[in-house]
Amino acid sequence: MMSANKTLNISLIFLLVGIVSSFFADFSISTLEPFLETKKFFVAIFDINFNNTDFILEAILNTISIAVIAIFVSSILGFVFAIFFHNFLLRITLAFTRSIHEIFWALIFLQIFGLNTMSALLAIVIPYSAILGKVYAEILEENDSFPDELRGADKVSYFLFTLVPDAFPHLVAYTLYRFECALRSTAILGFVGITTLGYYLSSYFMQGYYGDVWLILILFYIVIGTIRYWFNKYTAIPILIASILYHETWGEFSLSNLVRFVTSDIVPAPFKYDYSYDKTITWFSNLFSNEIVPGVFNTIIVTQASLLFTAFFALIFFPIVSKKFTKVPFIGHIFLVILRSTPEYILAYMFLQLFGPSMLPAVLALMLHNGAIISFLIGKQADEIEFELGTTKKKMERYFYFILPQLYSQMLAFLFYRWEIIMRESAILGILGVATLGFFIDSAIADFRLDKMFLLLLVTAFLNIVIDIISKKSRDYLKVDKPTSSCGCSLK
Amino acid sequence: MSFILENHTISYDDISILTNINLHIKKGEKVALLGGSGSGKSTLLKNLFKMQKENTSYIPQELGLVQNLNVFHNVYISLLDEKSTFYNIRNFVKPVKNEITKINDILEKLYLDEKIFSKVSSLSGGQKQRTAIARSLHANKQILLADEPISALDEHLSQIVIDSIKEKYETIVCSLHNVQSALNNFDRIIGLNHGKIVLDKCSSEITLSDTTMLYDVCK
Repeated sequence: MMSANKTLNISLIFLLVGIVSSFFADFSISTLEPFLETKKFFVAIFDINFNNTDFILEAILNTISIAVIAIFVSSILGFVFAIFFHNFLLRITLAFTRSIHEIFWALIFLQIFGLNTMSALLAIVIPYSAILGKVYAEILEENDSFPDELRGADKVSYFLFTLVPDAFPHLVAYTLYRFECALRSTAILGFVGITTLGYYLSSYFMQGYYGDVWLILILFYIVIGTIRYWFNKYTAIPILIASILYHETWGEFSLSNLVRFVTSDIVPAPFKYDYSYDKTITWFSNLFSNEIVPGVFNTIIVTQASLLFTAFFALIFFPIVSKKFTKVPFIGHIFLVILRSTPEYILAYMFLQLFGPSMLPAVLALMLHNGAIISFLIGKQADEIEFELGTTKKKMERYFYFILPQLYSQMLAFLFYRWEIIMRESAILGILGVATLGFFIDSAIADFRLDKMFLLLLVTAFLNIVIDIISKKSRDYLKVDKPTSSCGCSLK
Repeated sequence: MSFILENHTISYDDISILTNINLHIKKGEKVALLGGSGSGKSTLLKNLFKMQKENTSYIPQELGLVQNLNVFHNVYISLLDEKSTFYNIRNFVKPVKNEITKINDILEKLYLDEKIFSKVSSLSGGQKQRTAIARSLHANKQILLADEPISALDEHLSQIVIDSIKEKYETIVCSLHNVQSALNNFDRIIGLNHGKIVLDKCSSEITLSDTTMLYDVCK
């Protein structure tokens, strides 16, 4: 058990930071008739448009095939990374590559290789192989029960016989979860121009064709919800082959563009053009005070406010999936699965269209997506709590006196795991117009100031790594660190 | 000489587990280690193993089995360092007939051949123990160190296991807590109590008072 004092301390700090952040946050609604638009959107569910199915089917196949190829390549690379994860340089490199969001990677590769399948694949594979590498390494370590003294000299054979078998089911489960994430990530790559589902979703939404938007969303939920029926050990390889054959063109790997990008495009202007000392200082201080400081500040504000709202959401909604509180947990289950399956980016995009640009769409989206994941996990844990005979039947009392005290520390641990992910997303949601780091990165790309973009990306990565360290320290302080294989894949 | 310990003390976190152990075990000796839980038997065996890793097969109390692997592969692990990596991978993916026959012969003796392709996690405690013993019977080593290898087996199976390890291994150090079975099957008896050797005799020279004392420490 963790000490109640420590829990209280940490909770108060988070509450305070969250409230202060919410105070600074801009939650204004700027559209003229937000509720009319919202109503129009929800009413459109009864008016689904089946006329554009050709486009949409192609977009679905494109999304699935890119996600399938990406997850195969990523899991192979991830496995190799996991084996060498003890190497310090590798760990640092992976921490860096996974702290940059797949959309940022896509924006980078669009500059180098253009708008094509290869850019999309690289954008997914680079962060995903790094995430898989880290989590695979954790899973292998957690499931290593073979006595060290019995292990012999042939490292490869012992690895295969004594480490892989026990870890394997957990590796597969995590990879399948990541495949679901890859489908979501590939879908949202449409927002930067790849012709996946997000491409059509954004264009229909912008034109107000809500009937088409609903069709895309529902098909997307079906694809995600049925993964386990169509993607298993018998179908995986055929689907992979079909996915590779599906793409006739991949785009050209241009070495000269890559070289130009690394040696010229991202070199800060003062060095490239040999600015004078004063001009160099001005360049950097402008970047620092006009973009880095406000970008970092806003990213932190959105992250901390979202984290607080996520906690509230989870505490309010976990009873709807717990048999301890409801007789129909499956209804709550469907509700949470839908929220969880919708990428934050799509949620934020929709709220943005409905409410206009402010931090509100970002915070709402992050709260709904992450809150759904955490509610679901705590709800399941609440089911495992045994009541003694004579425990009160009153639900409010059960909630406050029996369930909450036992699950609160769990929830904190889950929040800490999502922290880094919320931060990554907060940065990226800047592309939609909130002035977080993503906003400045997106503007730098639009102005073709790739040197600026690169420095801002470095800052973003650094911020993520710092949050990752604070999260780890907080979990250690509260002694709530959980093994990956026991707490549900969707946390990491 | 297989093992020599002179004035040997082992301590963890400043608490000594074995104190001033003097022990000479010659090649060809079959030694039973007797003592209650916490007497230091496991620590002693583990230490002996570390001294002679190259030519020793060791069955730890927790058996060291891989739960998600079948019996065949768990037994095959004893050969990993002798065969080439390529051959090992091949056997991992699809066991070679010749290896199956060899391992099946060993399992047959232990009434475990039916379970050859069952996952260890699905086996009973006694079956797991016999899997670990089969691994040692399959190894090409000269010395066997076994930590309570028959604690979950009935009398009949225990006798079969003891006979087969005695047939295979020249030198054996085996911890037990059944005094009678130790006296019947091993040439030398070492009694441990609170990390000290309290008795070290040929089993033929054991007196009635020694036996009483052993029953006492093994309680």
